[in-house]
Amino acid sequence: MSTGGGLEASYRRLLRCYPAWYRGQHEEEILGVLMTAARPGQRRPGVRDWADLPWSALKIRARTVLRGAASQPWADALTQFAVLLPLLLVVLRVTELCVGGAKNGIGSPADILIGAYGDPGAYTRGFQLNPFSAALTGNVTDALTAGPLPPLVLAVLVGLGLRRAAAALAACVPLAFLTIALTNDYTLAGGPRTDGILYAWALESLALLASPGTARGWKALRWRPGALLAAGTAALSVAVNGGFWPLVAAPISIQRARSLRLLGPGHIPRGFLDRLLGTGPAGLGDWLLAQGTLIALIVVVIVIMLVSSPVNRRVLVLLAVPFALESVIYACSLVNPPLPAAVGNTIATLPLLVILMAAIAVSMGPQRGAGAGTTGRPTPSSGP
Amino acid sequence: MSDRPLREPTFLILTALAERPQHGYGIMTDVERISGGRVKLRPGTLYAALDRVVAEGLVEADREEVVGGRVRRYYRLTPPGSGRLAAEVERLRHNASVAAKRLRLGTQAAGGPA
Repeated sequence: MSTGGGLEASYRRLLRCYPAWYRGQHEEEILGVLMTAARPGQRRPGVRDWADLPWSALKIRARTVLRGAASQPWADALTQFAVLLPLLLVVLRVTELCVGGAKNGIGSPADILIGAYGDPGAYTRGFQLNPFSAALTGNVTDALTAGPLPPLVLAVLVGLGLRRAAAALAACVPLAFLTIALTNDYTLAGGPRTDGILYAWALESLALLASPGTARGWKALRWRPGALLAAGTAALSVAVNGGFWPLVAAPISIQRARSLRLLGPGHIPRGFLDRLLGTGPAGLGDWLLAQGTLIALIVVVIVIMLVSSPVNRRVLVLLAVPFALESVIYACSLVNPPLPAAVGNTIATLPLLVILMAAIAVSMGPQRGAGAGTTGRPTPSSGP
Repeated sequence: MSDRPLREPTFLILTALAERPQHGYGIMTDVERISGGRVKLRPGTLYAALDRVVAEGLVEADREEVVGGRVRRYYRLTPPGSGRLAAEVERLRHNASVAAKRLRLGTQAAGGPA
């Protein structure tokens, strides 16, 4: 191979720093310029190219993200995410209701409303055991974060294509929770799972405002097997096993723990690692039996999503954001001695406010069209 | 349209395209020539700048040619791009004119009788 061949291959490797859509449009063109500008006999990219190309690729990537809906895969992913998430939450609540109801009975409508699935009488018990105001605020916050009504209303609004109304609801739920929580001395860092739900709501609001494609409602939800499968699996796993939560704190029953104790290859001491793996008193064997299949299924679904399409990959990233933030809050909750309530609340609230402020910024930006073609990406190839 | 002053590389790229459409390498060499060798754009920087001005509607693709098996895309200034460049030229001319006048007055004041 000539030295030009080696140089070209090196440049191509550097050009991989650029996003795929940009490479598709400009790779050959930039390569032509690089090769024309190369010195005779040059074998490798110069130092300036090593700095210039990745830095420029980073700028293009940052611009792609900032343009948001201007990038077609991200626009599609935001649309898919914004329509999928309410459905995911509804499936999750229905599954929780079915699982809890099958175990201990469904309970009254009020119990269902506050998300006390499989815990009949929880609503009235709250008033018997606590002062009225404490029980009321507790029930209201439960209804907001664990109840089926808010996701159901959101799903209907999103399905009908009422984008702004759905975005307002999605923003109001976490704001209402925050207002109640912070005026009633709640410790937000103590409930990372609730915080994760709040982040999901806020992200939903942002996605609805940033993606004009959601104005098409349920019609915007194209049949994407990978995304739908992942959504269904995640909902089912969260409802039945606590989802990714068992990875950090699996509730293993004492009976099962005793019966499975001998299967474990060893006992990991209780403590951080124990809680992290959710091994409980039964050791690793129980953890594998209880969660291994589920985790394997989730891994398969994630792999399907990763390889299926660029849009699915982005949907996966968006779906992972609340989990990632939740994990951070969980890590903070493990700090010993515990963080002061004010610090924990600040840490838990900050991502929420950032997402909601971004939603406000997007809503105040220029109006975007809501047609089927939501791309605003420049089309430099429009010429002959 | 943005009223912010153009950054120098952007100004030079628009200037390079003001007379006729040019491809990437042509713009690079022209920018160096226009700036008297002071500004040397690297291909990555050039295309990042082109991406921005195309997104802003100041420049658009003109045509493509295949030379030696490689694609060459030509870019041209759009009417808004011409307007933006003309406005920038006017701004620079005004500033330069005011600066020259002040310098002249300052020189006279310093060198003239008290």
